[in-house]
Amino acid sequence: MNAAVAQSPIVSITNVTKDYTLGKVVVPALRGVDLQVHPGEFISIAGPSGSGKTTLLNLIGCVDTATSGVVSVAGQDTKQLTERQLTHLRLHTIGFIFQSFNLVSVLSVFQNVEFPLLLQRKLDKNQRKERVNQLLEQVGLADHAKHRPNELSGGQRQRVAVARALVTRPQLVLADEPTANLDSVTGQNIIDLMKELNQKEGTTFIFSTHDAKVMSHANAVVRLADGKFLDRLTPSEAKRAMAAGAEGH
Amino acid sequence: MGQLRLLMQVAFRNLFTSKINILIGGIIFFGTLLVVVGGALLDSMDSAMSRSIIGSVAGHLQVYSDDSKEELSLYGGMGGEPDLAVLDDFSRIKPFLEKHPNVKTVVPMGTSGALISSGNTVDLTLARLRDLYKKRAEEGESPALRANIDSVKSHVRQMVSLMEEQRNKSRELLSSAAVDPQEAEALARARTDAFWDTFENDPFAALEFLENRIAPQLPDGDLLDMRYVGTDLDSFQRTFDRMEIVDGQPVPQGKRGMLLSKFYYENFLKLKTALRLDNIKQEKDLNQKRIDADPQLQRWVKENQTQTREILFQLDPIKTRQAVERLQKVLGNQEPSLEKLLSEFLTTTDDNFDTRYQQFYAELAPLLDLYRMRMGDNLTITAFTRTGYVQSVNVKIYGTYQFKGLEKSAMAGVINLMDLMSFRELYGYLSPDRKAEIAELQKNSGLKAVDRANAEDALFGEESGNSLVAEATPGLIEDAKAFEGALGALRRDDLAARVYSQQEIEQGVALSAAIILKDPEQLQQTMEELKQSATAAGLKLRVVSWQQAAGLIGQFVLMAKLVLYFAVFIIFIVALVIINNAMMMATLQRVREVGTMRAIGAQRSFILSMVLVETVLLGFVFGAGGALLGSGIMSALGSAGIPAGNEALYFFFSGPRLYPSLSAGNLIAAFVIVLLVSAISTLYPAFLATRVSPLQAMQTDE
Repeated sequence: MNAAVAQSPIVSITNVTKDYTLGKVVVPALRGVDLQVHPGEFISIAGPSGSGKTTLLNLIGCVDTATSGVVSVAGQDTKQLTERQLTHLRLHTIGFIFQSFNLVSVLSVFQNVEFPLLLQRKLDKNQRKERVNQLLEQVGLADHAKHRPNELSGGQRQRVAVARALVTRPQLVLADEPTANLDSVTGQNIIDLMKELNQKEGTTFIFSTHDAKVMSHANAVVRLADGKFLDRLTPSEAKRAMAAGAEGH
Repeated sequence: MGQLRLLMQVAFRNLFTSKINILIGGIIFFGTLLVVVGGALLDSMDSAMSRSIIGSVAGHLQVYSDDSKEELSLYGGMGGEPDLAVLDDFSRIKPFLEKHPNVKTVVPMGTSGALISSGNTVDLTLARLRDLYKKRAEEGESPALRANIDSVKSHVRQMVSLMEEQRNKSRELLSSAAVDPQEAEALARARTDAFWDTFENDPFAALEFLENRIAPQLPDGDLLDMRYVGTDLDSFQRTFDRMEIVDGQPVPQGKRGMLLSKFYYENFLKLKTALRLDNIKQEKDLNQKRIDADPQLQRWVKENQTQTREILFQLDPIKTRQAVERLQKVLGNQEPSLEKLLSEFLTTTDDNFDTRYQQFYAELAPLLDLYRMRMGDNLTITAFTRTGYVQSVNVKIYGTYQFKGLEKSAMAGVINLMDLMSFRELYGYLSPDRKAEIAELQKNSGLKAVDRANAEDALFGEESGNSLVAEATPGLIEDAKAFEGALGALRRDDLAARVYSQQEIEQGVALSAAIILKDPEQLQQTMEELKQSATAAGLKLRVVSWQQAAGLIGQFVLMAKLVLYFAVFIIFIVALVIINNAMMMATLQRVREVGTMRAIGAQRSFILSMVLVETVLLGFVFGAGGALLGSGIMSALGSAGIPAGNEALYFFFSGPRLYPSLSAGNLIAAFVIVLLVSAISTLYPAFLATRVSPLQAMQTDE
């Protein structure tokens, strides 16, 4: 863990603000956030609804741009990149796991996982096949390669999404509430799977959640409140703090 | 490669999952079907019609004088015959045109029309009687001739009594003021035995009385409009190989004569009762119509019941008796009146029609003249010449002809064929040589014998010269009609027997010339080359394609095509709007999917190609479906044929059925249009899809 911290951060956020305009009203979603994430970390972003978790993940995922401040991913200042370059960065550096799985319904499990590889155009057919099958093996869906997403359960779908996010061997995987649409046992399995991959492959994970159980797997919990960085705690600290917060209510 | 395959797979799988796609597909399907079927039908009709026009009179190209005030229109224009300048000497133009390597044959032509009078039945019978008396005057009386005369005389007498009967009938309907007392008086006189007893004393005077006072009371003489094409008949027959002789024989080489179109002969010269029976039979057999259900057939039956006079007048007393006997036997009753028998016999129903039809031809037809003109008859054609005076020519009818496949076409059927010599006379054109010749003739004939009334005969009587007057029988000259008749007969014999050399036929006027090409594919090119070389040679010629030469008819398919393409255009504009809207909706439905792809790392170009590939595939699949069904329909139609419902269509179908075929061009055109339309209509939705933000992927379902 210390070795990981010693490397230069994969995500570096400095004094970032993000405003949304709803009609004539400007709604601040982030009001100056700083965050450093180092390779190999397994970080949970926590906070109540509206605290800016999703906004922060979108900025890190290069699908949105900050109003001010610097968002740097894999050493690149995202503000300096064109739309094409941002897309390129997403494709090659970041993997996404969505709350609602977001699989392409007309494609099979295999094809969904293969999709980013096809966009990358780096591997030939056999290499792709090998890679996809390896991932499906890892997520325990080798038998379901030919199924369509609507033939799978929610947990299976999310496992496909995990496989899709990891198939390009990204440095960073972002997951916004990956367990929100799953029952607790299945959610637990997904987090276990993520953790396992984090430990085996050393992939950096940043995920948001408001489930304390899920948080407990993280090696750090970053808490946000009202668009501001609150603190960075260990899971046990966070558990206590949240319990106190709940009592406070 | 993998990406494209993926795109295809995504597109293909999306094809049938979205209802919107099915809607768009449906539009494309029917659009393609329409283009394929409509286009192929019109193309087939175009080529069928071109076969009709090329094969009947037009040839591939027509050449006519550039001095013409109007454009050539072989099938007649809106205002009658077009005003064309003449080609002075066909023999000069022919070798010029034949020099072109692609020209196979050149046929001289002239199209014109005239009114012919069929004469009424009384007139015709009286003329026969007059001929017989003339024969008696010339050759003396023989027992056979006497019997003949008596038979015809009794026929005339019968007619008079029929007229009286009808007069009495109509008197019941008309007020006395409507009855001309002079007519009644004449009829009464012709009914008296005294009139017939004294007939032999002065037959020609009696005939004159009947001709002038009785015959005009019968209003059944028709004036028929007749279009004819004057041409080199031999060359015509050799060139237009769809032409075939039906009745009679071809006009012998170099002789004057006419070939009537079989269609014209049947429809205008046939006994109307027989024609109506034929028509009913055809409608019943060919179009499965029924008398009890079809008002047109009922009308024909009704007309046959009531309009029996034509038959009654034709029959002399002996034949009348025979007809009565036969009809009584057929109908199984003892009715003595032929009129009533006929009326009953011709009251046909769906049940008895076929029997009656057969009985008519078996029992009655042998007693009747089924046609007003028979092969070998002479037809007097009276036409206005270009300069406005009336010209009359007797032409022998040698036979009837038809164009194979166009037997039933009224359009091709109105064209009767005439030798070029007679045509030139009717047209009133004399070549310089001919003028000189006539001047010579006139000088020899010593002018005094030719008075004004005979001037035309002498002028155009060609070889007859001054012998005409000398040979006329003096006793008959007093009678103006007889004189004309005799003169006509003499001229007729003389001219009809004359054989013209090819040189004579070709040296002279024609209105146009038909050109048959060796390679019809090069029509346009040959046309241009002929135009150029004609200009270079100083010949004032207009060269037009068969399509232009056919006038309005030639433009028909072009117009139909324009209508189709306009309809297709409208349909596809509508399709464009609908597809565009539908694709917008489809794009909106797929915002999250597109957003996800963008988030995962798909560039905008990928999204653009995804949408485009999808639409093009959609167009391809449904377009192919439409094209396939269209080809299926066309091949089914191609083997079964589309029946030409009415006779006007025979011409456009080049026969009783159109056997359409599908060309690769039709399919390609349909495909290109469909793909273009679907691609264009997707451009905006595709653009919108590229603007979908990856943020949209983050939206939750809640």
